[in-house]
Amino acid sequence: MSEGTVNRNKIAAGWRLALSGLERFGVIIAFIALFGYNAITQPDTFLKPENLRNLLNQNADIGVIAVGMTIVIIAGGIDLSVGAVMAFGAAVGMITMNALFDGGTNEVLAVVIGLATGIGLGAACGLLNGVLVTIGRIPAFIVTLAGLIGFRSVTLAIAEGGEIRAADGLTALQTFGRGGLEIPGVLDYYEQPVVFYWNILIFFAVVVAGQLLLSRTRLGRHFIAVGSNETAARYSGIAVNRVRTWSYVLVGACAGVAALMSLTRMNSVSSSGVGHLAELDAIAAVVIGGTAMTGGRGRVWGTMLGVLILIMISNMLTLADVEVYWQGFVKGVIIILAVLIQRGRAN
Amino acid sequence: MLDIADITKQFPAVRALDGVSLEIEAGEVHGVIGENGAGKSTLMKILAGIQPPDEGSLTLEGRPYRPRHVNDASRAGVVMIHQELNLVEDLSVAENILLGREPRRLGFVDLGRMRTEASRLLEEIGASIDPKARVGDLPVAQQQLVEIAKALSQETRVLILDEPTAVLSERETALLFRLVRRLRERGVAIVYISHLLPEVLDLCDRITVLRDGRVVAETTPAESDADRLASLMVGRDLVDVYPPRTAPEATEPRLSVRDLGVPNHATGVDLDVAPGEIVGLAGLVGSGRTEIAEAIVGLRPTSGGTVRLDGEIVRFRSARHALDRGVAYVSEDRKGRGILVDLSCIENTTLPNLEAYGRVIPNRRRERRTTADWIERLDIRCPDSRGPIRSLSGGNQQKFAVASRLDARPAVLLLDEPTRGVDVGAKRELYHLISKLASEGLACVVISSELPELLGLCHRIAVMRQGRLVGVVDGPTATEESIMRLAAGVEEHVA
Repeated sequence: MSEGTVNRNKIAAGWRLALSGLERFGVIIAFIALFGYNAITQPDTFLKPENLRNLLNQNADIGVIAVGMTIVIIAGGIDLSVGAVMAFGAAVGMITMNALFDGGTNEVLAVVIGLATGIGLGAACGLLNGVLVTIGRIPAFIVTLAGLIGFRSVTLAIAEGGEIRAADGLTALQTFGRGGLEIPGVLDYYEQPVVFYWNILIFFAVVVAGQLLLSRTRLGRHFIAVGSNETAARYSGIAVNRVRTWSYVLVGACAGVAALMSLTRMNSVSSSGVGHLAELDAIAAVVIGGTAMTGGRGRVWGTMLGVLILIMISNMLTLADVEVYWQGFVKGVIIILAVLIQRGRAN
Repeated sequence: MLDIADITKQFPAVRALDGVSLEIEAGEVHGVIGENGAGKSTLMKILAGIQPPDEGSLTLEGRPYRPRHVNDASRAGVVMIHQELNLVEDLSVAENILLGREPRRLGFVDLGRMRTEASRLLEEIGASIDPKARVGDLPVAQQQLVEIAKALSQETRVLILDEPTAVLSERETALLFRLVRRLRERGVAIVYISHLLPEVLDLCDRITVLRDGRVVAETTPAESDADRLASLMVGRDLVDVYPPRTAPEATEPRLSVRDLGVPNHATGVDLDVAPGEIVGLAGLVGSGRTEIAEAIVGLRPTSGGTVRLDGEIVRFRSARHALDRGVAYVSEDRKGRGILVDLSCIENTTLPNLEAYGRVIPNRRRERRTTADWIERLDIRCPDSRGPIRSLSGGNQQKFAVASRLDARPAVLLLDEPTRGVDVGAKRELYHLISKLASEGLACVVISSELPELLGLCHRIAVMRQGRLVGVVDGPTATEESIMRLAAGVEEHVA
């Protein structure tokens, strides 16, 4: 073997390593590159703490749904109904707390019960999806497509197609939505401390919980096993139906949490607007984050970066004065690129 | 018609074919027999263009024949009908027969002509099947006739039938034989692969016996009988790879199966296994061995019969349920059902019994320690137990599959083809492992197509044929011939 060949082999090996690194950590590289680009080109707007805070706050609900979506996809399923379930949970939660408040219940208690109702309803919708998929043996795509249509319809009916607002005098919801963590020394344009809203913290907490669930718990291991090879999992003594049902319950509960977040942020529910297309944004984030659509392989932290990447792209395009109509096109291209780059891992 | 000269095919672990030569004449039915793993399937795959040979040549009607693809083969007139039929279930009979060669008119499929053509072909083989019927709605026997009609529609010169009667009833078999004889009269060369010696003797003009990838005999029904064929098929030296047999303490059976049936696969199976006993389950592929084992552990619905565990009737709903009661099953399909190839060695080992490592959060240190224990106990070669199991050799993957079931501490272990695709050294280790587990009181059932391993390992061997238990022989005194005679239907013998 001549020296030239050796060198060429070394270079080839280096490329392979670089490529496999790109496959595995491409999402981190993309995140850093996008963040860097935004920071350099828009230092006065993008990097402002209140801008970052607002971006996160507006998308935290989608982020929470995306975490649930990651789990259900890793377990070999999919849930298209999340956006509709979010709206359903938000509407029922709002109505519940209004009724309690008007009935004289303590304000905070009314809000807490209302929010819990929303989350519980989300989980119940997930349970219904899960049962139809496992015991009913209907493909997840169809069950949750029916859910997307059905739950949205119920929500529209409840709100008569319009909006449900918080009852007069019910301010605890807004107080919660505006509350959060102040980081000492982080000040806005007016030298006021920037509040990182609770919603943002909930999003990151859900990310951490989701990642721990997947990589540390028995249920998480079972999700991966079932998504990787359902038959082998059944032969290994895993209660496959129960495990798959749990994945739908969890994603449903995530939609419920997202409902709660939208309530505290908006102080009202738009029956047609809340969660509209949330399922597609969530799936996009999951795909960009490097989770295999075929199940069995994925990561919640990747999805989190996927959410942040989508946020930054929107922000970048908005600040660059690109018409809003074109943003979807750019997102579409990004999704295809993400899959192309990560395809190597599947084979 | 078809000349096969010096064909060799090497797979990573085994030489599947080693200088195989045979001639297939026009207008003859040429039987090819041999044990599982003798090389029959590989040879047929080469003929049908599914795999290329490493060495050797094929000549079809005097011209070199080098199919690179199934389509090349069928264009040359060589058609194989697989054990698993290759029909599109959702299309009609006529559409299947003329698939890819649909008659057209003005660019559209000419349905009328397609149906007349299909009817003509079906009539020709004496099959009364509606060409408009959906293939998936037909019974398997009729589906097979559709396959044959399809083969005939394309000027077939060589027809390869791989275990065609495995799915047929006696009456359907008779019908198939009539058809095969008619095709022979028309000058078609027919290669007939079967395990069932009586039907081979009945149907074939010449018989080639393969063993360990070589032709060991070419004979005719006139100069052979089933006994001779059976001994030709199995005749090989036993190497001393088996552990000494320790007699089980003769107690009540731990697992007792009575009159168990599996829809479409088995009926009336009785089986007893005592603690410390190793019971073999022999039988040809398709005899219902795997299905019975899966039915016992709740992976398949049963059609009557009982399973008793220590005298108590149990009815397992799932593998989970069976494992909880101490009955474990290791599948023959290692990569599809035995292990999870995407998971690590540790995750595979602890998966069936993960609860024992923590109800919610498994203790990873304990998982690692237990896996290390199993690696040592089963002598598994595994450089990194946190690495993916897919990077290990078949034998080591198999040991992990066994370890994972043992980790649930079963009282009964059913092993289905535990040494398939495993090299000789690892086989020996698995035998010693099974023997050791039995001597510690485990009740073992070993399903295998390899008779020597059953003879070397088992206390008793139950033999199945076409879904029924046809005999139970004593492990130490039985011979391969006696089992092969039972399995291939030369004799009935109910112990």
